[in-house]
Amino acid sequence: MSEALRRIEIPIVITILCTLLQIIPFYINVPPLEAASDTFRSWMILVATCSTFIGAITLIMIHSKTIQKQSKGWYYSAIMIIFMAAITLTGLPIPEAGLGDTNTVFDFLFKNIYTPLGSTMYSIIAFFITSAAYRAFRARNIEAGLVLLSGLLMICKNAPITTSLWPGFVTIGDWIFDVPNMSTMRAIIIGSALGAIALAVRTLLGMERGYLRGGGEE
Amino acid sequence: MSDIQEICETMSILIEGRIFGLICLAIIMLAVVYYIQRAKTGKVPAVRRVPGIDAIDEAIGRAVEMGRPVFCSHGISNMRAATYGPQTIAGLGVLSHVAAKCAEVGARLIVPVRQPEVWPVAADIVETAYKVAGKQDEYSFDDVKFLSPAQFGYSSSYLGLMMRERAGANIMVGAYWAESLQLAETGNRVGAMQISGTANQHQLAFFVVATDYCLIGEEIFAASAYVTGEIALLSSLAGQDVGRFLGVILMILGALMITFGSDALINLLGW
Repeated sequence: MSEALRRIEIPIVITILCTLLQIIPFYINVPPLEAASDTFRSWMILVATCSTFIGAITLIMIHSKTIQKQSKGWYYSAIMIIFMAAITLTGLPIPEAGLGDTNTVFDFLFKNIYTPLGSTMYSIIAFFITSAAYRAFRARNIEAGLVLLSGLLMICKNAPITTSLWPGFVTIGDWIFDVPNMSTMRAIIIGSALGAIALAVRTLLGMERGYLRGGGEE
Repeated sequence: MSDIQEICETMSILIEGRIFGLICLAIIMLAVVYYIQRAKTGKVPAVRRVPGIDAIDEAIGRAVEMGRPVFCSHGISNMRAATYGPQTIAGLGVLSHVAAKCAEVGARLIVPVRQPEVWPVAADIVETAYKVAGKQDEYSFDDVKFLSPAQFGYSSSYLGLMMRERAGANIMVGAYWAESLQLAETGNRVGAMQISGTANQHQLAFFVVATDYCLIGEEIFAASAYVTGEIALLSSLAGQDVGRFLGVILMILGALMITFGSDALINLLGW
């Protein structure tokens, strides 16, 4: 690739241009800018869609290498490539050839493998919460003690047996949720928004270069 | 017709309902620029230490001593999402620092990636860090891993990698959702030193309890400026305080005005 095309200034200029084209029409009513902003958004979707192929190619390259070298657990890579090929081919949007989301193989893979695996991974969070809570709920100092106390009160608020014994848990739980919890959440949101604005200013000034090759020329 | 409406009509180029937001944004942006310029004249504001960022070097050093790899991920969002994209950019800023440090000390760096469009950026950051350190031969294309675009496909693959490779350090800064606790708990299980950070407030509690250090909200956006140590970048953080003061003033004023039965501030916010 030409050295000129690898200059760090090019992505910085593109970033600045794209950022301004999204910010300005949000606040200022200038129809040509709005039209340009819409066009840029369409390009963005196109670029993002094309990047899907990068993901697929990367996966094939890495897993093919694993199979070729017969590295440890290579058969998992083989299974991955077989299923990736199966779901891609059967899911191609060609209904005339019986392919697409109505294809029986695609439907079977999606409903009986992909969806249950996703649900399983989501549901195991319950076990992770238990082990994390076991460590977090040890009152080693005042702060940890407060976490323990508020956690216990929230459990009591949500457990039917404790609320039936004493309905006051609902009032206490609601207060914890609506007052200290909500105010902390809002403080974090305001802080994050300010942080994001400062990041945007640094990016617009071309000073924030961490996301561009670490800011360094090769 | 009120004065505000009259001004609105004369300034029709500005979109109604967003004018006050624009003014606030302009004030904060100008404050950030002012502090950056001020730093160039030698007036540098004090920036508090962030233990989570300071611990990154320690985590990498520990992983090297243990002979284990360093994991560094930048969340599962893409770079274009309006709310979560900046978190990914902040995570990539941290990745550039981690990659440079890993290249310097000879640690193996594994970068799990969820979004295909972020993968080339992450790969470029890591490759450049190794080139800059003069260790291009140590860079492994296979270690910047695109795992899966599916949330739980990504997390299950990430968990498996951490278990198989016995992560020595796990640095996670960016936008995370339900997988946050899965990753943090697994890192804990393999004995990795963990540094996390997100601005997704619902996941912060998980990161706080399950990792050694946690960057909370705005700290992740400050991280990329903080790790560079550049005075101008660090000074930009002081500009945020102007926004904070503005927010506090509006909150106090709003509470007082509503208490005394005036909704003038609410009308102003909707201007």
